[in-house]
Amino acid sequence: MSELFQEAVIISILAGTFRVMTPILFAAIGELVTQRAGIWNMGVEGTMIMGAFTSYMVATTTGSLYLAVLAGIFSGMIMGLITAFMIATVRVDHFITGLGLNLLVGGLTLFWFRLYTGGGYAPTFTSLGNFPIPILSSIPIIGDIFFKQKLLTYVAFLSVPAVWYFLYRTRWGLEIRCLGENPKALDIKGLNVVLRQYVAILIGSSFTGLGGAFLMLAFSDRFQPDLTAGKGWLAIVAIIAGKWLPKGVFIAVLVFAFLGSVAVHVQILDIDIPYQIFLALPYLASIILLIGLRKRISQPAKLGVPYFR
Amino acid sequence: MIRVERRIEVNNSWVIIMYLSACIVGFLLTSLLLWLSGADISKAFYALYKGSMSNQKTILNSLSKATPLILTGLATVVAFRAQVWSIGQEGQVYSGAMSAYMASLMFYGLPVWIYLSLIITFGALGGALLGALSAVLKNRFNVNEIISTVMLNYIIIFFLSYMVGGGPWTGVGDQALIYSQSNPVDDTAKLPFLFDSKKLHFGFVLAIVSVLVCHVLINHTPFGYEIRAMGHNSVALKYRGTNTKKTLLYLMILSGAIAGLAGVSEIFGTNHSLRGDTLVGLGFTGIIVGMIGGLTPIGTLVAGVVFGGLASGSVYMKIIAKVPGTLVPTMEGIFLLTFLIAGVASHYKIVGFKRDV
Amino acid sequence: MLQSTILKTNQLSKYFPGVIANENVDFLLYKGEVHCLFGENGAGKSTLCSCLFGYHKPDSGRIELDGKLVKFRSPGDAIKCGIGMVHQHFVLVDDFTVLENIIVGTNSEKWTLDLEKSENELRSICHEYEIDLKFNSLVRDLSVGEQQWVEILKSLYLDAEILILDEPTAVLTPEESKKLFNIIGKMSKNGISIILISHKISEVMQADRVSVMSKGKLINTISPKDTTPQELTNMMVGREVTLRVKENKDIKTTTSSKPLLSVKKLNYLNKYKKFALNNVDLELRSGEILGLAGVSGNGQKELFDALSGNLVPDSGTIIYDGEEIQGKSSRYYMDLGIGLIPDDRYREGLIGDFSISENTILGWQRDQKYNKNYFLNHKYIKKFAEDLIKQFNVIAPNATVPVNYLSGGNAQKVILAREFSHSNKILLANQPTRGLDLGIIEYVYEQIKLKREEGFAILLASEELEDLINICDRISVISDGEIRGTVVAQSTSIQEIGLLMTGQVETVT
Repeated sequence: MSELFQEAVIISILAGTFRVMTPILFAAIGELVTQRAGIWNMGVEGTMIMGAFTSYMVATTTGSLYLAVLAGIFSGMIMGLITAFMIATVRVDHFITGLGLNLLVGGLTLFWFRLYTGGGYAPTFTSLGNFPIPILSSIPIIGDIFFKQKLLTYVAFLSVPAVWYFLYRTRWGLEIRCLGENPKALDIKGLNVVLRQYVAILIGSSFTGLGGAFLMLAFSDRFQPDLTAGKGWLAIVAIIAGKWLPKGVFIAVLVFAFLGSVAVHVQILDIDIPYQIFLALPYLASIILLIGLRKRISQPAKLGVPYFR
Repeated sequence: MIRVERRIEVNNSWVIIMYLSACIVGFLLTSLLLWLSGADISKAFYALYKGSMSNQKTILNSLSKATPLILTGLATVVAFRAQVWSIGQEGQVYSGAMSAYMASLMFYGLPVWIYLSLIITFGALGGALLGALSAVLKNRFNVNEIISTVMLNYIIIFFLSYMVGGGPWTGVGDQALIYSQSNPVDDTAKLPFLFDSKKLHFGFVLAIVSVLVCHVLINHTPFGYEIRAMGHNSVALKYRGTNTKKTLLYLMILSGAIAGLAGVSEIFGTNHSLRGDTLVGLGFTGIIVGMIGGLTPIGTLVAGVVFGGLASGSVYMKIIAKVPGTLVPTMEGIFLLTFLIAGVASHYKIVGFKRDV
Repeated sequence: MLQSTILKTNQLSKYFPGVIANENVDFLLYKGEVHCLFGENGAGKSTLCSCLFGYHKPDSGRIELDGKLVKFRSPGDAIKCGIGMVHQHFVLVDDFTVLENIIVGTNSEKWTLDLEKSENELRSICHEYEIDLKFNSLVRDLSVGEQQWVEILKSLYLDAEILILDEPTAVLTPEESKKLFNIIGKMSKNGISIILISHKISEVMQADRVSVMSKGKLINTISPKDTTPQELTNMMVGREVTLRVKENKDIKTTTSSKPLLSVKKLNYLNKYKKFALNNVDLELRSGEILGLAGVSGNGQKELFDALSGNLVPDSGTIIYDGEEIQGKSSRYYMDLGIGLIPDDRYREGLIGDFSISENTILGWQRDQKYNKNYFLNHKYIKKFAEDLIKQFNVIAPNATVPVNYLSGGNAQKVILAREFSHSNKILLANQPTRGLDLGIIEYVYEQIKLKREEGFAILLASEELEDLINICDRISVISDGEIRGTVVAQSTSIQEIGLLMTGQVETVT
């Protein structure tokens, strides 16, 4: 247990936190936009798997990580289109749609994966390398923790203020927030509610697909069926815990990622505590977080309510 | 954009047409997938048929595979009818399996009927406990049930992984270490087989009984009235004198208990040792089964049997037609989507294609 | 003075499933006039306006604006042509500011929010019409009257030339209504044409012209100067009808002076930390109808919730038969024999997807009357429902149809039937006649009066002051969660009640 508290390990845990944070942050900040528009996209987990899987396929067939990342985003958009069709056009219940899509994608990726590998070895690729920021990464300790991350991690961090600006300082952000509080107010002004719902969902799912791609490309060299292991759900919990604010979401994801990073290190260091405890920690923490929040939930007024004229 | 309006009258023949179309479209999409994967379509479907219902052995096998799915499907029905989106069946199956296993260790040596009854009861209690926990989290702390059940699923799965993968219940021997499983259960703990089969066991009886109980409960008791009312308009139900928090608790206990029975059935009827890999997916597939079954107990029975047949036939598909076994979960997902759309189409209609909504 | 036509419809018709909402309507609007659309609920006034506003598309007929044919595909088109609408139920975002509500969806040039420019524009408009609003206030902190100003400003900000107001005074106090009509007058003088939907004859008489609608048809357009209220009402209903002015009171049955249910110093803070109920004192007596006068949103909902076991007050007592019952469950209140007709009938009183049978036992599903050996006695329940359908004249094919199929009036009858069958002492009725046709309104009041004769203690809340004066024995006036006074119906007037609502008279007990 004392091995955990050596300096090198602590640095590694903290640096790992930001790495682990990235995919969840992408998914969470994207889904935040969707939820502020009043839509519960429960299919985050499935979209992430899709993003991970398609980026894997592209990475191993083309060898290009750039293309793989793009593939992840693109597959996220496709998932978003299907989700938006079910939710915004056909107006199926939000929860059922998301759950159904999760189940479908779970089966689909499994099937494709087996097809692709033909039951034999899974092809591998070179995973994403680090992108140290010049000068800043040379700072002792701080440099190791913050500035030797992958490029996409920096992007993830920047996306938080970007989303904040979008929601609160642009007219589209105002409209999207209006969607979540009272879509009729937009409809009555002659604005196309369904179109805006599509946009909000697509933004969210693209981010999530990107998160899935990162999860695949940055952490290992081949696909595994249970790659996401509930990270999509943690993203959703982070939004609730963060009270649907960009700042809050960031903090919640940070906490989950920290626990996840600790779990990984416990496993690596082969400490005498069952590693499963640490793996379960983020999920346990999220329940405790939600218990603590109770009545102070401040979700968008029309979240989850299908809009009919 | 398409404009939709809720139908005022639901035409029964239209509903049947919709669901038949869903089946047909589902099969077409499956055939498409098969074609894309380069398999022989007719061979694949023939293999499916052969493996699921060609003779008594395969039929019993299908029913045996259907057993846990019927149970988790019922668990879904009980919850979803009340618009309680519990995704906890997966974890409740594990929890039921573990409680039953614990009982099998605790009560070893008791007369067989008592021993088995205790195992079954503890299994149900294990699932019920998890269900109750989600209900309490919602009632007292307003925690969304989707999230609490998903989180609890992961926690329980990790717990099992520990117990049989290095923890106190880990089996002895190399096999146990590789597959993360417990020691095999004693012969006295095995659920009796039916019809001289080596596959179909007493769990199937539990499933059938559960179907009947749920059917009667939902349609002919005040509790069932409350469950259905909760699903349509829980506000009105609460307004006029019903303690909906109690209703939620009881229905989650029931749902969890039934799912727990699926865990008992798998461990003590089919596999005879506690292991996670055979329990995986039973809960999630149950959700699909319940939904395709129209969220009714009888429909769930039918859907469960069909899915059991698919599972049974998939082995043959792999051997005869060289189709990956993972086609089956994909088929399940496809049929789920088509049935969902059929369900919506039954209750809503397209009013027009407009440029602006 | 020559009047120029700014808007007209030609043989406009609109159908909804099973309903002829508008049939061959020829409507004419002059520039700068205040034109009232008068008619009962369901007469087609709102539908006509929703077509004019582009929210619905007419099935046949044409709309001409300034002599040119127009086809609106959405409210956006109507807004671009200068038509604005203020709806009866406001479409505002509570958590946004006044400014945000007005400008959301309007700036089409820059993608950043240009708040300053918009504020300046709004300030001059507010100055013109003497509207006093802080643009930074959150809408949920505004009074109902102020919220309506925001709705009006939404249209004025976009330079509306035609403004449609749907039952605007339904939610206003007499004082606020006067202010509104001032604004309307100014708009009219500025050349803005106003269409005013109203069912209140007093407002109709103030308009320049009035179009009477009935059963989807436009009966006649006439100037109030050339007609009388009686004539207009006859046109509206299609037959001779006695206006419901103050009639002689019914012979009162003896009432016990000891209260059956008394409320003392009831307090409740809502989630915005405002007093929804402020030291409320009330007494319900057997054989008496106590009216609760006031515009919705002044605490009626909270009071009815508290009296039916659906709200736990912060302090104060509710005493029934000597026992304190505040804070107990709705089950407890129901078992005591207290019946409730909620104002939100589909949300709180019915399960729309359930059949009529199932709705008649809502809340009583565990009662041994409806169960045989722990199982529901479906046959008995069906017979029970069929008897009620006959007794209350519910228009429905049979007892198994979902309540969603019924019209609003018939759905209300189902609630009445259920509550009357299961209560035996006290009846709470919150806006029981809202949105119903005249015929059914009369029926509901008849039934309530019958219950009074049976010795029930009844609390009746309504926004229609005339109805309250006719039906009730005493009337309490509620405003901002406070009981401003309680008067005897026989000796009061609409003016007195109006003054009590706005606090200009000493509280009377």
